[in-house]
Amino acid sequence: MLRQKPRISLTPRSKGSTRLNTRTRLVIAVSVAATYLLGVFIWGWFLDPSSYAVHFESQFIPPSWGHIFGTDFMGRDMFFRSLKGLSNSMLIGLLASLISSAIALAFGTASALFGGKVDKLVLLAVDCCMGLPHLVLVILISVALGGGATGVMLGVALTHWPELTRIVRAEVLQLREAWYVKASYKMGKSRLYVAAKHIVPHVIPVYIVGLVLLFPHAIMHEAAVTFLGFGLPAETPAIGVILSEAMRHIATGKWWLALFPGLLLIVAVLLFDTIGENLKRLLNPASAHE
Amino acid sequence: MKRALCLFLLAVFALALLLGCGGDSENAATDSSANSVIAYVGSNIFDSSLDPIKGSMPYGYSFVTNALLRVTPEGSYVGDLAYSWTVSDDALTYTFDLLPDIMFSDGSNFTAHDVVFTYQTVIEHQAENEEVDLSRLAYVTALSDQVVEFVLSEPYSPFLDVTAMQGIVSADAYDSEAFDRYPIGTGPWVIAQYDPNQQIIVHRNHHYFGDAPHLDQVTLVAMDDTTALAAARSGQLDVVKVNPAYSFEDVAGMTMVPLQTMDVRLLSLPVLPLQEKEGMTVGNDVTADPAVRKALSIGIDRQTIIDNALNGIGHPAAGFSAKLPWADYIPVDDNRKDEAKEILAAAGWIENDDGIREKDGLLCSFDVYASEDRFALVAALAEDAAHLGIKIVPHSSNWGEIAEKMHTASIIWGWGQQSPTVLYSLFSGEAALTPGGWDNAPTYINPAVDAKINAALDARSQEEANKNWIAAQELAGKDFPYLYLVNIEHTYFVRDGLDISPATQVPHPHGHGVPVISNMKDWKRN
Repeated sequence: MLRQKPRISLTPRSKGSTRLNTRTRLVIAVSVAATYLLGVFIWGWFLDPSSYAVHFESQFIPPSWGHIFGTDFMGRDMFFRSLKGLSNSMLIGLLASLISSAIALAFGTASALFGGKVDKLVLLAVDCCMGLPHLVLVILISVALGGGATGVMLGVALTHWPELTRIVRAEVLQLREAWYVKASYKMGKSRLYVAAKHIVPHVIPVYIVGLVLLFPHAIMHEAAVTFLGFGLPAETPAIGVILSEAMRHIATGKWWLALFPGLLLIVAVLLFDTIGENLKRLLNPASAHE
Repeated sequence: MKRALCLFLLAVFALALLLGCGGDSENAATDSSANSVIAYVGSNIFDSSLDPIKGSMPYGYSFVTNALLRVTPEGSYVGDLAYSWTVSDDALTYTFDLLPDIMFSDGSNFTAHDVVFTYQTVIEHQAENEEVDLSRLAYVTALSDQVVEFVLSEPYSPFLDVTAMQGIVSADAYDSEAFDRYPIGTGPWVIAQYDPNQQIIVHRNHHYFGDAPHLDQVTLVAMDDTTALAAARSGQLDVVKVNPAYSFEDVAGMTMVPLQTMDVRLLSLPVLPLQEKEGMTVGNDVTADPAVRKALSIGIDRQTIIDNALNGIGHPAAGFSAKLPWADYIPVDDNRKDEAKEILAAAGWIENDDGIREKDGLLCSFDVYASEDRFALVAALAEDAAHLGIKIVPHSSNWGEIAEKMHTASIIWGWGQQSPTVLYSLFSGEAALTPGGWDNAPTYINPAVDAKINAALDARSQEEANKNWIAAQELAGKDFPYLYLVNIEHTYFVRDGLDISPATQVPHPHGHGVPVISNMKDWKRN
């Protein structure tokens, strides 16, 4: 007699799916996105300025094989200019995120660990910072620091720490009650020692995810502030500058000036987001079902 | 299925709505056949008061008010409210004979007392008016209803320019608050409706003493440049101020008209080496070398720069416009690259491997700061100067930053006005090293030039004044403290069938937009 095969499989697999498991797929997604972004960043970093220099004889060329993103009103190649711009934005985003997350880590840990007045002070600072719209605060700080790359970078850096601070603080509050932390205290270790040896290493996964997710925010805010004219000066290749210049030529039908740089920015931001979300699932699998 | 039907109906409805909108704008276009005009002349006119006592229309267009004199398209002065004037031998007393039987737009009579009232009110409220300087006016008095006399405390030849710029308002009707929007004057137009930041509607003034305007009504609308271009395309506007960058856009039913200006774009080149002077940091080691300044002036190709940055609109300039009686007009003879290179080489500037000149380890490179709208001009200049081995680094900047850098870097300026006092601002050593303000950015101090400027200010006649102004420019020109680039033109789209009378347009002063209304009474539909 033929016995029917059991229809129930222990490994759920949808129709037509590949043999890769979720973890591998996440790793691949993260790697692809990271490679693309890193490629853009490094290419832009080492780009020869003459590739996006002024060439008045080739103004307003629509996208073609010679200039795949077209050229602008000063005949600059929009592909290389956008690339350099995105690279610049990423650099500013990177620096801003690093500063921002360092502040968040320090504040978050200190707040939870010391409690009392320190905690109140940090929470007050967080509330103050979150009470104002981000963009307004970024503009204020940027202008107060004299604008330019430093202004925007610090503007973004000093406004993006509150969310991460809260997350880090919540995490540390949990850890503080853990047995091994209490044990460490009982053995006479100082708070600083406990923080460095027991708490921070456990916060790192959350911190890294937070850092990566800060990135798209930082880049978008840099672009927005520059777009509004409070950020990078107009001679710097930056996505914000490119888009605000493009606005002036939209009415005359120069669509390529806005479309391609805009797409480039959106793709970069979405990819950062993908990396962040996937990293979250990889580093913190328990939260994957949230 | 129901859902699909709903979506379809919605789409049809939306389409109908869109088509409906399109139809409206078509109507607006045909509506312009009436004897009225809708114009976009920039939004600056909405930013400040319309009251001449507070400095409205400081360049003397006869719009709502008239001044005692007016400027002709050729750049000389003729009577407007006054028909003749005399200046005493000591150049302290100016007497104006006023035209009789002139009425304000409210029907009241214009007399010498209105002139006295206007000038006295300006003096009393000088803080509210930065456009006109009456500090040397001792007093003004009406000798009769038709004669007004100004007495100065010291000779000041540009006072005549003041009388051609300052609009006269009605003394009886004057109300400081109301006049911000509804001034009453003797001009060809009267404000019929003022909607802040939306529109100003003017009607023909039936009491105007000159030839009546051809048009019945003009509406000046507030927009931004790109919206205005779109509105022009859809046929809603008759006159549109347009940036030279868009001036060759195709707009159906409209023609681009370039109008001459007295506005020049020039770079200040600091003449002193970098140093501390009277508590200020001034100078630039590269531009301090006269060879660099001279080589730039004769070596660059202004026409190519204009073609590249301004769509070819504007005229190469090596000085102020020949239309100004006090200008030392110099015909442009540039693009002498070989000669310029020889001057640089003789001064010790030798090209390095990158094609940039060097002298004792100092790179022949300097920064130029430009407001955003002038950045392209500097970028085009930088491209051309590179052929000489001079590296110009253009920066798009704001006026705050420019104020910080103006004495140590090169700045691109725009100067254009009827009054020669601009020469004092540009060249006077007395104006150098005064913190605040925009005067004498290159810190150019030359006692011989100062003597000529002072002689011009103290001159007993316009001829004598102009002779000294020209001499001052000639002297200063030898040192090249400024690099003149272009005498710009103001561009407008004008609807076919509307004549804005380019022949009676005065050369426009600084500020693209409003000056086009200077001869609005001569506009007519064909």
